[in-house]
Amino acid sequence: MSDVSLLVQAAADTTRAYGEFPLIGARAAVWIAAEVHLMFAAFVLGVPMFAVVTEAIGIFGGDERYDRLSKEFTRLLLVAYSATAIWGAILVFFLATLYPRFWAYLTAVFGPSMWAYAMLFFVESFTLYLYYYGWDRWKQGRAKLGHWTLGILLNVWGTIVMFIANSWLTYMMSPPRDITPTTDPATIKLWHAIANATWMPINVHRLIANVVFGGAIVGAYASYRFLAARTAEERAHYDWMGYVGNFIAMSALIVLPFAGYWLGREIYQYDQSMGITMMGGFMSWLWVIQAFLIAVLFLTGNYYLWIGMGRIPGAERFRPYTKWLLVILVLGAIVWGTPHTMIADSKELAAMGGSHHPFLGALGVMSAKNTAVNLMILTTFLSFLLYRRANKRPVVPWARTGTLIQGAMFALAAGIVLFYGIRGYFVEAIVRIGFSVYQVLAVLGCILCVTVIDILMGRGAQSLGVIKWGQMPPRSQYALFILAVTFTWLMGLMGFARSGIRQYWHVWQVVQDTSKYAATPALGYASKMISVCVLIFLCLVSFVFWLGGLAEKSTFVASGGRGGGAQHVGH
Amino acid sequence: MWATNLKVVGVVLGTLALYTLIANKIPQVQSEVPQTLTLGANVTPEQLVAAGEKVFNGIGGCPTCHGLGTRAPNLLTDEKGEGPIGARCGKREPGKSCKQYLFESLDQPGAYVVKGYQPIMPVMTKQLSPQQIWAVIAFLESQGGTVDVTASDIPAEGGAGAPGVSPGPTGPGLAGGSTDPKVIIQAAGCLACHKLDGQGQVIAPDLTHVGSRRNAESIRKKILDPTSSIAKGYEKLAGIMPKTFGTMLNAAQLEALVQYLAAHK
Repeated sequence: MSDVSLLVQAAADTTRAYGEFPLIGARAAVWIAAEVHLMFAAFVLGVPMFAVVTEAIGIFGGDERYDRLSKEFTRLLLVAYSATAIWGAILVFFLATLYPRFWAYLTAVFGPSMWAYAMLFFVESFTLYLYYYGWDRWKQGRAKLGHWTLGILLNVWGTIVMFIANSWLTYMMSPPRDITPTTDPATIKLWHAIANATWMPINVHRLIANVVFGGAIVGAYASYRFLAARTAEERAHYDWMGYVGNFIAMSALIVLPFAGYWLGREIYQYDQSMGITMMGGFMSWLWVIQAFLIAVLFLTGNYYLWIGMGRIPGAERFRPYTKWLLVILVLGAIVWGTPHTMIADSKELAAMGGSHHPFLGALGVMSAKNTAVNLMILTTFLSFLLYRRANKRPVVPWARTGTLIQGAMFALAAGIVLFYGIRGYFVEAIVRIGFSVYQVLAVLGCILCVTVIDILMGRGAQSLGVIKWGQMPPRSQYALFILAVTFTWLMGLMGFARSGIRQYWHVWQVVQDTSKYAATPALGYASKMISVCVLIFLCLVSFVFWLGGLAEKSTFVASGGRGGGAQHVGH
Repeated sequence: MWATNLKVVGVVLGTLALYTLIANKIPQVQSEVPQTLTLGANVTPEQLVAAGEKVFNGIGGCPTCHGLGTRAPNLLTDEKGEGPIGARCGKREPGKSCKQYLFESLDQPGAYVVKGYQPIMPVMTKQLSPQQIWAVIAFLESQGGTVDVTASDIPAEGGAGAPGVSPGPTGPGLAGGSTDPKVIIQAAGCLACHKLDGQGQVIAPDLTHVGSRRNAESIRKKILDPTSSIAKGYEKLAGIMPKTFGTMLNAAQLEALVQYLAAHK
């Protein structure tokens, strides 16, 4: 961008380009409105995904528990939708009054897509009302399939709405290169602006992250209802619901880093200096915090599974292994959180005795970190496998061979991960980066093949006893709260990273931020903002759930029916 | 029930407090908005070094790569026994002074990629003002060497200007206004990305037969407005080529370069 263009922009900005917000300032006001809106939006987009999946399991598997669970998920959505819309409106009003010039620019580029967005939100809301209120009316036969189709449509509308909103924020990050500060926004073709470099990676990343987030919030909801339950049957139901929410969240979490890699690569390809700012510049410490948070997620998720094995007859035989799984997870977390590529001034370098820490330098590199995180994913998958198998004894004649093959697959995947991790120290960076693909493929391949074998091997398996749903110590439920808080905080942190790499630009190298809040704050300030946003969201979502409980009693049905209450057997 | 509620609130607040505390305990780095650097005619080497250090650690973002020694050579500490950058810059390229080498490294980073590192450095003369560029050079020279940057090196306006070079008789332009296409290509750093007659990098399209693909008008347009057309297969590099050649070259230079390239059939 030329100096002249910057001067022109700065001069133009002196005339009512920015508004002021009392006490907290304009930036903080928009930050809170955007973040809380996003959290509600992620919830109302994530929950319908597994509401539809659980309804399908209920329909095609003939298990009514899943249908009831799906309805309970959907009930949580009703008021959450209103909250999403309210916070969206607050965000728009804040942008229009606090950043009027920038908002005018965005509307000039994206106007028609904003109309489509509003219309689709309307359609989506009505589809939700039909989906929920038609639940009992369209319960049987073809009507039920029609009802399920409504659920699918709900997801389709929601996904399109998210894609549209993503185009606005990704345009701010990565506007097409032919757009300059002098380009008249009214002349920019809409599709050209939408299909920018980071649009699709963000779409995919958010799609998966919404499932993770929705699962975590539902898990926290179930854990609260578990702790508040007055009967054993109610406790059993919410124990099971918490398990399903956690399972969905953790399963989707395993895939999320791969979408993150793709997004990171696109950012680097679009603008290397932006990528360097993100990974090694003033934001480098952010990734250490992220590593810590993800370590908390892995450890807490596994802890919940291990405690859960206490209510499964037959799980005793696997208990001795959990301490070794814990050792791998803790070691992995330590390596992953090891700082390496930090900004250091000459004094810090001198104090360290060189550009790297003499010992930690070797652990802080990508080879060690990729190896650590892949082994953590494998370990978590093994935890889940042990949990799944706890009360089953396979009876197929090839059970022993199958188990041996599964073991060999784990060993092979771990071997590949370790081999490329060590080899990475002896090759050029450009070669080393390619190794992460082999490591990821080995882990994903192992997860896929082992799961298929396990499903086939579990056919007609002998039961060692029914799962004693509800017989969980309260501390397990607090683990679900920690997971939900951590997922939400992590979402705020990553949002700060994505938005912060634009630094003092509203639209990267096209529209400069000339307000007094143009500097990108340090992580300390950002963390306070994130915590405030998380707290607001959790308070409101608790209120929303309480309202939902007032409107209608829980869909929980006492035992007596098929698979009801404490008689839950399956996972 | 109240006890349970309190425990839940305690767990939530405790978790939030822990994360906030950790994030506040680590080093706090804020990304500042770049400030205009004004250096008077009587600027001293000390003032230049002080200003350069701020640019190096701030808007320049140099330590991101050069402070680590993993992505790029460390400039502030010893590198392979040759000392910090101020001590080794004069020995890096035969016939080039420390000042010249540093300027060209900032202006054409692809020209002097140190063995073992990738050509990832952006063109800093596109990102920093001439004052900032020369202040950084003074700061780098001060790292184990002698500062010989003076106010006369810093152009009043326009390009950063190569050290020891004044505008030629035909007006301001690269390489003293020389109309020798080879000199222009060298000074403009074209070979940092393009290959021509067997020399240069292959990051951007090979220019050896550019005349068979583009006529003179198309080449001229491409130099003046690099995003006007993107060669097939290089779409992802759109925007990399500097848009400043229109102001860096004078009319005679531009025409000489266009004709030279157009003749490469």
